[in-house]
Amino acid sequence: MTKNYKLTTKNSSSDRRIWLLIGATALIAALFVPFSQLFLHVEYDYTLRTVALGGALLGIVSGVLGCFAVLRRQSLLGDALSHAALPGVAIAFLLAGRDLGLLLIGAGVTSWLGVYFIRLVTGTTRIKQDAAMGIVLAAWFAAGIALLVYIQARPDASQAGLDTFIFGQAAAIIERDVRLIAAVGTVSFIVLALFWKEFKLITFDAEFAGANGFRVNLLSMALSTLIVVAIVLGLQLAGVILMVGMLIASGIAARQWTNQLGQMVILSAVFGAFAGGAGAIISAIDADIPTGPLIVVVAFLLVAISLGFAPGRGLVWTLLRRLSDRRRFAAQTMLQDLYHYAIDHGRADLPAPESFLFGVRGATAKEGLRQLHARGQVQRSNGAWMLTPAGIEAASRDDRNHQLWAVYRQYADDLALPAIAEDRQQDIADLLPPESVAKLEFKLDTIRNAAAPPAQEQSLPNAVTDH
Amino acid sequence: MFQLEEFIIQFLLNFVAREDLNAFLRNPQHTATIVGSLIAVSGALLGTFLLLRGMSLTSDAISHTVLLGIVVAFILMGSLFGQHPDLSSGWLIVGAAAAGVATVLLTELIYRSGLVKQDAALGLAFPLLFAIAVILVSRVVSDVHLDEDAVMVGEIGVAWANTNSHCLSGCESVTITPDDPRAEMTRQCTNCRNLGISPRDDKAEFTTICTNCGDYSPAQAWQAGFTRQEPVLVFWPKSITVMAVMTLLTLLAIVLFYKELKLSTFDPTLAAALGFRPTLLHYGLMVLVSLVAVGAFDAVGSILVVAFFIIPPAAAYLLTDRLPRMLLYSSLIGAAGAYSGYDLARGNLLGVVHLSDILAAFNNLFGLGLSEQWDSSISASMVLMTFLFFLAAWVFSPKYGLVSTMLRRRNQRRSFDDQVVLGHIHRHQGRAAESDELTASTLYRHFRWSPAKMERTLRQLAARNLVQIEADQVSLTDHGETHAHQFRQTQLTNESVGELST
Repeated sequence: MTKNYKLTTKNSSSDRRIWLLIGATALIAALFVPFSQLFLHVEYDYTLRTVALGGALLGIVSGVLGCFAVLRRQSLLGDALSHAALPGVAIAFLLAGRDLGLLLIGAGVTSWLGVYFIRLVTGTTRIKQDAAMGIVLAAWFAAGIALLVYIQARPDASQAGLDTFIFGQAAAIIERDVRLIAAVGTVSFIVLALFWKEFKLITFDAEFAGANGFRVNLLSMALSTLIVVAIVLGLQLAGVILMVGMLIASGIAARQWTNQLGQMVILSAVFGAFAGGAGAIISAIDADIPTGPLIVVVAFLLVAISLGFAPGRGLVWTLLRRLSDRRRFAAQTMLQDLYHYAIDHGRADLPAPESFLFGVRGATAKEGLRQLHARGQVQRSNGAWMLTPAGIEAASRDDRNHQLWAVYRQYADDLALPAIAEDRQQDIADLLPPESVAKLEFKLDTIRNAAAPPAQEQSLPNAVTDH
Repeated sequence: MFQLEEFIIQFLLNFVAREDLNAFLRNPQHTATIVGSLIAVSGALLGTFLLLRGMSLTSDAISHTVLLGIVVAFILMGSLFGQHPDLSSGWLIVGAAAAGVATVLLTELIYRSGLVKQDAALGLAFPLLFAIAVILVSRVVSDVHLDEDAVMVGEIGVAWANTNSHCLSGCESVTITPDDPRAEMTRQCTNCRNLGISPRDDKAEFTTICTNCGDYSPAQAWQAGFTRQEPVLVFWPKSITVMAVMTLLTLLAIVLFYKELKLSTFDPTLAAALGFRPTLLHYGLMVLVSLVAVGAFDAVGSILVVAFFIIPPAAAYLLTDRLPRMLLYSSLIGAAGAYSGYDLARGNLLGVVHLSDILAAFNNLFGLGLSEQWDSSISASMVLMTFLFFLAAWVFSPKYGLVSTMLRRRNQRRSFDDQVVLGHIHRHQGRAAESDELTASTLYRHFRWSPAKMERTLRQLAARNLVQIEADQVSLTDHGETHAHQFRQTQLTNESVGELST
């Protein structure tokens, strides 16, 4: 009962943190507009407004749907599918001429055929998914290139700009495209909301979903179709090559901050909007900077920040924790070293030569001895360190604790002791009920007495040299 | 490189006349096919190992980021030596190989953080590097050869035209200095562009430069009219040499380290335990992939080269279980794709179908008004042909193909049906409800089969002389009796063996 209570409070506080983060990111994204006007001297003309809005909307759509690609370990599917969209663009152009909606439908169809082909190949042969994706990527793209080159040989100029789908061309985005992105994005969000539970289930435990009678194949095709929609919408802006970066980067960044799908999706949408909008605005500073690649770079910066600073998981925190752990353990290590050195040589307050300690432990020795000295547990006398009476007391208590832990590890079942997680930094007497501690102590003493009297310390070899 | 070409030419001239060699190489088809096949073979050899290691998409990442290496090397060379290098220059190749390895390192760095899955790490690393490359291309080197078409499709069709000329006799190199009477001098405004003024402006400053100074190879000198006697020349396409060197390197590496590669591919742990340094091999492989990718960059562009790494090995993987055969088959499939791809680009599909006929048919059917002249990208067509061969392998492979799998499944199903019917007859023959259970015309009901299926099964069993039908009653023949009995025996044995082993 108490445990449950604790869990919920912890969750709600971390919940609040995530919502704060989402709000803060959204605020920064919104503040970026006046910031860029004031400090980067960006002029918001009609084109830039359209492109920035389109980039932000697209960031939201691909951020939301990309989360599922990331979680389903299909990040590179986005790469294959965006390449696979190219022949669709070309075929649609050949059949129906230059109409953006139809071009995108064509792109969606071939891209979706790519998904189907990957399933078919992996389902009927022993070719793995990555190779199947590579085949689709290369073959579909080659078909697209072949068709584009064929189209470009046409005498009229109607095909001009068709190859912007390869690298993306943000400047070509007009208001109608933005409306299209908004409309299609809304529809795909509605689908996502309707099947939220199902999609969540097949994302995290497809086998469980199958066992419960969900149509896993159908659902995952539907989810892939949604991803195809996101890719197709993004082609004009990011192009087939960089679309994968746009699709997955914000999802990966969001994944670092939270363990809940709902929060991850919303955070990813905010990140995506920020990357898309800010990327478009920054690229407006200089006409030579292409928008799509810049959006990818901004998104990657978000990923880098998230990987570095996300609470709990972030690399910076891990590094700091490791450093502080090392400092914490340094004193303890040196205390044990000194104690065992002295005991092995006959008496507990025997000084150990400094060069020996430094040679064995290096930097740890310096740090540990400094801390011990500050606590008054060691003292230095002509080039050697020895334990003070307080130090000997602490060391023997520590040593005894370690030996109790060793006994616990070996005999916990025999003595019917309650199960606790092994953590030798803690005093075992604090973790176990008094009667269990008494049993442990009794067992330890029995073992010691059973062993040969002079070899007291060697009776439990792993207790002595455990760290 | 140049000496190597000389050597090859001298060797070839033992067999063919110079004019024939020139004519052969000047044919776009020959050069394109040779270059394409070399790319395909080296890609297929390396791709086989990538596929077996489950790293096919690493080649995709590397081929993308090779562009970054090329661009960075290009910029560095430009700022260091004030001169942009040729695309086949050694420095670009070094830069590209470094970028390839950097991609792999960056991916592993992201993956090792433990925060990101492997596929996501790859999906993060290469779009980033490619994005940086595209930004650099459009900002720094916007006015040079590195245009988008080169990145996408390459120029294998004009590979024959980019040649080194090798002079055999009558060679006369010419160096024109400003003092030379043949030098053409002209005035150039030095500050017009910076100040944005016209050369007629008063502030314009001028310097005299020589427009045609420099070193002329024998071929260039003859072309410019500096020499009187025509030199005897062989024009050797550069990309053939580049790709030949890459292919030889690949072959050499695979032959030398075959055992190590094989072991570390199939059992990396054992390879590490035996001291074969699988990590080193891994990076060696990545360097080779980068080298081939950059060598092929000129010819087929940065993206289509992936196809040569992935598709032929995948096709070969469906055809054989042996590594040496897989290497051989994938090389052959790649080379065949390159060979037939050239024809496809001209609309000729394996000499069977002509694409212009199809286009004409489309025009007739739908009235689309498409151009009936199919003339398309050579490199993309090569990939498409390779893909076609993959499809063929997928459908017709004797062991893993769709057709053979289907046939095998059907045979299994049929033999199972046979056994079930035999078992049923064996069970009921001579028992109480015999007449009810073994009526031929209603037997299908007991199995809930369709009548047709039962009829077919009984017909086959009768044909094999296992059952006989008399007066609508099915019964086992003597032969059928033995057969059913034997089957039962083996089943019992199998079952008891199964019980023993579990």
